[in-house]
Amino acid sequence: MAEYVGIDLGTTLSGLAYLKSDGNPEIVPNSDGERLTPSVVFFEAHEDVKLVGSPARDGGEPDRTIFQIKRHMDDPEYLVEIDGKKWTPAEISALILSKLKRDCSKIIGDINEVVITVPANFNELARKSTIAAAEMAGMRVKRLVNEPTAAAVYYAHSQGVKGRILVYDLGGGTLDVTILQVEGDNIRILTSEGARHLGGSNFDDMLLAAYAEQYTKQTGAPLYNDERHRRRVLLATEDAKKMLSKLQRVNDTVANDKNDGLARIDLTRESFEKLIRQMLTRTVMLVEQALDSANLKAADIDHVVLVGGSTRIPKVKTILEKMFGKTPKSCGNVDECVALGAALFAKKSARIQEVCNASYGTVAMVYNAKTGEEKLMNSVVIPKNTPIPCSRTQVYQTSEDNERVIEVDITQGEDEDAKFVDIIGRITLEVPPNRPKGCEVAVTFSYDENQRVRALVVDKQSGRSREVAVSYKGAGVLSDEDLKRKSAHLRTMRIE
Amino acid sequence: MFKKILQSLSKSQAAKVPAAPVSKPAAETPKPGAVLQKISKAAAPAASQTPEEMCEIAPKMPKDQIHARLKLLYRRYNRSASSLDPKIRQEADTMLDAIVKVREKFFGEI
Ligand SMILES: Nc1ncnc2c1ncn2[C@@H]1O[C@H](COP(=O)(O)OP(=O)(O)O)[C@@H](O)[C@H]1O
Ligand SMILES: [Mg+2]
Repeated sequence: MAEYVGIDLGTTLSGLAYLKSDGNPEIVPNSDGERLTPSVVFFEAHEDVKLVGSPARDGGEPDRTIFQIKRHMDDPEYLVEIDGKKWTPAEISALILSKLKRDCSKIIGDINEVVITVPANFNELARKSTIAAAEMAGMRVKRLVNEPTAAAVYYAHSQGVKGRILVYDLGGGTLDVTILQVEGDNIRILTSEGARHLGGSNFDDMLLAAYAEQYTKQTGAPLYNDERHRRRVLLATEDAKKMLSKLQRVNDTVANDKNDGLARIDLTRESFEKLIRQMLTRTVMLVEQALDSANLKAADIDHVVLVGGSTRIPKVKTILEKMFGKTPKSCGNVDECVALGAALFAKKSARIQEVCNASYGTVAMVYNAKTGEEKLMNSVVIPKNTPIPCSRTQVYQTSEDNERVIEVDITQGEDEDAKFVDIIGRITLEVPPNRPKGCEVAVTFSYDENQRVRALVVDKQSGRSREVAVSYKGAGVLSDEDLKRKSAHLRTMRIE
Repeated sequence: MFKKILQSLSKSQAAKVPAAPVSKPAAETPKPGAVLQKISKAAAPAASQTPEEMCEIAPKMPKDQIHARLKLLYRRYNRSASSLDPKIRQEADTMLDAIVKVREKFFGEI
């Protein structure tokens, strides 16, 4: 039995690593002989088999092929329908995890307990869905760990470094920037910022648009008319993109599937860099935001660590080098280090001090006595990046005479402007009659190690209080029974 | 110096609903993404506006103010870019494009 196993369940690629007896982690290949498994599932119609990985990615039918399911893990309403059966993102992910478990256990023995990595900014539903997916696939989740943390654990282990590390993880679908302080096995997260929908697949899309334009220019015909062919060209643009990380110039030819002829595509690294420049500027702004959140300057960072397949793009390295005045380091293989770090984590149980991954507060009219200004705003009680566990209180006043019920909106988000935050709950508290306005109400938020938030409202005069868990129990979360049933069902499926 | 007065959206904005009896659950189940309420929709940027107009950068604004403004806007719209509502996401993307264009204009390309 493999004791310490880590899994990187990625948007584009997934990988599994285990800890060898010498204490070093190693990637375990799948049965197709690959170190990493594309996170793609194909529902074969004739043989009732689910193909996972490269055969699924390269095979034919787009409406039976599921790509990038991870992008939907936080959406309680998202379902994939195949042959009249509806699949949740957790169930699709369970198929990917099943393949990893089945394939890898042939090499390292039974896999029962794992550490799985998630993006730092995954919300509670997405985290719960990830745990459910593993359970459906027959594995117990020892712990979830944030991807950048896992990468930093591996980097620190393999390079033996300490100090302030900025991890820049640009993958297929997302960018994660995390700053952490590493001293031996002690890790303190200083901040974690993420951008969704910013990653390598955006670059593929941009290249695809350029290909399509060139094709029409040269042949007068559209490059693709259906999803199947679009997918095929998209794979070609991804290949060209990867080549441009090595070569200055790539010549490609493309055709549509209607015999309208070939078009020649000449790509240079320079033109590709120009194409994606504005996207890369967005990534720079996220790095600046992370530095800002941690109250640090670029010079305060000791190591810049590159994670994610898209950091192979040379321009990414150059802009970070310019920004930090030092060469960013890859932690070995950029798309394997998250899984490797997770395997280390399973054993080392590094001591990690995490932070709140969102701001919580309430809506208040704030009067500034000095300037006489008043403003309706989102009043943050617990700011993002506060080390957890933690608890913070703010005292507010009631707004009306003879108010019988106090209502406190619970906001999530850091913007002062309440238009840009989410109201995710409301606490109501009945109070005694005949009181003037201006009675004090204390609002406390507390945050535990598992990123669980509680809100407490106390009416100071009457002493009445009310506490609620600001946790997600809504749509998309499975009951234990459902989970067991689905897990049993999954074991009967043919997954290859 | 600051006096903070609680303002509940359902009281200050919507039609008054009868006060909830205390025996009812104290909080409605929060749903990330599918939020209970938004204060109001942020105004969509008009297509004809320049990036500066979209970012509300005044013609003679000093550079450090532009910098601060862009930082605030980036933080704001990067967050909305992960909304589950495709319309909000699309708006955020348009704004992020404008933010990058203004940045390139005033502070140069990366
Ligand atoms: N040599 C390369 N040059 C540019 N992009 C690359 C290269 N190798 C991989 N990628 C891109 O990296 C992305 C996958 O990175 P990965 O870190 O595995 O993503 P994720 O964590 O989102 O699954 C894909 O968009 C892929 O095209
Ligand atoms: Mg990744």
